[in-house]
Amino acid sequence: MTHWRELVAVAWNGLSARKIRTLLIMLGPVVGVAAMVGAVGLTESAKGDLKQRLAELGTNLITAEAGGTFGQQNPTLPTNAVARVMAVETVERASAVAEVGGVLTIPHVGAEDYYAAFPTPVLAADEKLPQVLEVPMVNGRWLRVNDDENRTRAVVIGAGLAEEYGVIQGEFRTIRLNRFDYGVIGVLDRVALDPSLDNAVFITQWAAKHDFRTEGKPTRLYVRAAEGQTEATADALPIAINLGGPEAVSTQIPSDALEASAQADKTLQQTALFAGLLALAVGGLGIANVMSISVLQRSTEIGIRRALGHTRSTIGFQFLLEALFVGVLGGLVGAALGVAIVHLVSALAGWIVVVDYGRMPLWIGLAVAVSVIAGLYPSLKAARLEPLETLRLG
Amino acid sequence: MTPGSTTEALLELESVSRVYGEQVKVYALREVSLRIDRADHMAIVGPSGSGKSTMLGLLGVLDLPTEGGVRIGGEDITGLDDAARSRIRGDTIGFVFQQFHLIPHLTALGNVSTALLYRGLSQGERRDRAFAALETVGLAPRAEHRPVQMSGGEQQRVAIARAIVTEPSIVLADEPTGALDSTNAAMVMDVFSGLGSTERAVVLVTHDLGIAATANRVVHMRDGEIVADERQKPSPFKGAT
Repeated sequence: MTHWRELVAVAWNGLSARKIRTLLIMLGPVVGVAAMVGAVGLTESAKGDLKQRLAELGTNLITAEAGGTFGQQNPTLPTNAVARVMAVETVERASAVAEVGGVLTIPHVGAEDYYAAFPTPVLAADEKLPQVLEVPMVNGRWLRVNDDENRTRAVVIGAGLAEEYGVIQGEFRTIRLNRFDYGVIGVLDRVALDPSLDNAVFITQWAAKHDFRTEGKPTRLYVRAAEGQTEATADALPIAINLGGPEAVSTQIPSDALEASAQADKTLQQTALFAGLLALAVGGLGIANVMSISVLQRSTEIGIRRALGHTRSTIGFQFLLEALFVGVLGGLVGAALGVAIVHLVSALAGWIVVVDYGRMPLWIGLAVAVSVIAGLYPSLKAARLEPLETLRLG
Repeated sequence: MTPGSTTEALLELESVSRVYGEQVKVYALREVSLRIDRADHMAIVGPSGSGKSTMLGLLGVLDLPTEGGVRIGGEDITGLDDAARSRIRGDTIGFVFQQFHLIPHLTALGNVSTALLYRGLSQGERRDRAFAALETVGLAPRAEHRPVQMSGGEQQRVAIARAIVTEPSIVLADEPTGALDSTNAAMVMDVFSGLGSTERAVVLVTHDLGIAATANRVVHMRDGEIVADERQKPSPFKGAT
């Protein structure tokens, strides 16, 4: 076959001469490919924001808490827990917080009753906490070592609490903790991996000991492990903290839950993919069906072409090329439609668009393959038509 | 030059039979021999069922005989495969049908140039030659019109242009005026009489004796056999004797 250019033109003319019919049989590949592109795109985009957040937050944060040793009311970790944890080779950074109980936090006069009923958690924190959490300050600054040394009555509050208090950027604000006034020196941004910190008040170790008479023993540790060592580190932490003691230490990887929820719904995705494949297959049947009828309708045209000297194979290829074009065009239009649907729905739902363009050739190729296979039988039928029978001679 | 006698025949049927049916054999043609020479202007006439259509299929290389040989330019084509026969058909025969048989979605020019496809010609060459053929039949102004926009006579003239654009040695017409009124029929017959040359034969298959009378050779058929082959007049074509 050396006449591809002429064949392509003839097949294209055949399709464009019957626009409605061509559009109708193109619907199969269009719907099939759009469904498949849309299925994957929508299920991935639905979790797009979570995926993006997960990438920002990292998956190597571990929290360690004192497990309730039997009979003990408020279990704590050893005072030097951070130093013990840092001895583990795969630990990169660690920070401790100590819950300070029995503190009434009053942001303004007249709020005593409300905050007595709904107490605000108060945590004694060290200066490294924001670095370990990898969370920036919304405004102001974090607690420093010299706040502790200078016995400053300074606090940092979580972003959630700042919102609750109505803190304005740059405002100088004091809050009362029991009978002491404290200056709010900064607001910590939201901590996606531990939302309980969003509504907490952070104070220095000195304040915890001096103003509230606590030992300042850590109740919770935040640890960043080396890349890819998160699980092993989490397993090693209880031993490192206990040093063989009887106290129980429980560890958690908070990103695990987030990671699980960021996974696209595979069942839904597969169901939708299957529906797309089904649409494509049914579309293929439609192509085979309509083209078979079309070959009958065009039997005179086929007879004329044969009388003009066109061979069986050129007639067959003419029809097969028509099927191929339907597949290519349908696949391209379907892919564009699928992407448009993903963009539209994501815009409406406020999702981050995730479209896997690398898989497009696969979907389009599938549509082309189905169309060509569907076109095989009608093309063979066209090639086998006897011109003498279709031309009604004599 | 003495056409037909010394030179090779354009097409030759050698005791050809065409049989339909396996158990009960029906002879559509029975041991027919016919020789078509250059400058022949032949009419094949006969009543319905005389074997005209079968003859047309064999002469047009659309069908193969059950027995006997078909020679085109001296070559027996009965043993050739479909592709080779298709090529010979395209190069040698130009068809004109009773029902015009134009492709409805193509323009007059498109229909004519369809006969030039797959011959290694450029699009421009196909266009130019098709346009020239339309000029020959007087339809150049209708080049961009579709069949539905033309009268029956015009459609048949487009079909004639399509038949001659490949410069075939035989123009084979099947009741070319059968679907036309007398005015259009006369115009089409005019075009036909202008078609011939010393190198080309025109073969009309018809049951219209008035049309047959325009030919210089009339082959009469009955019951699948040639009953008479009259060379009544000299060839009407220029230069032929």
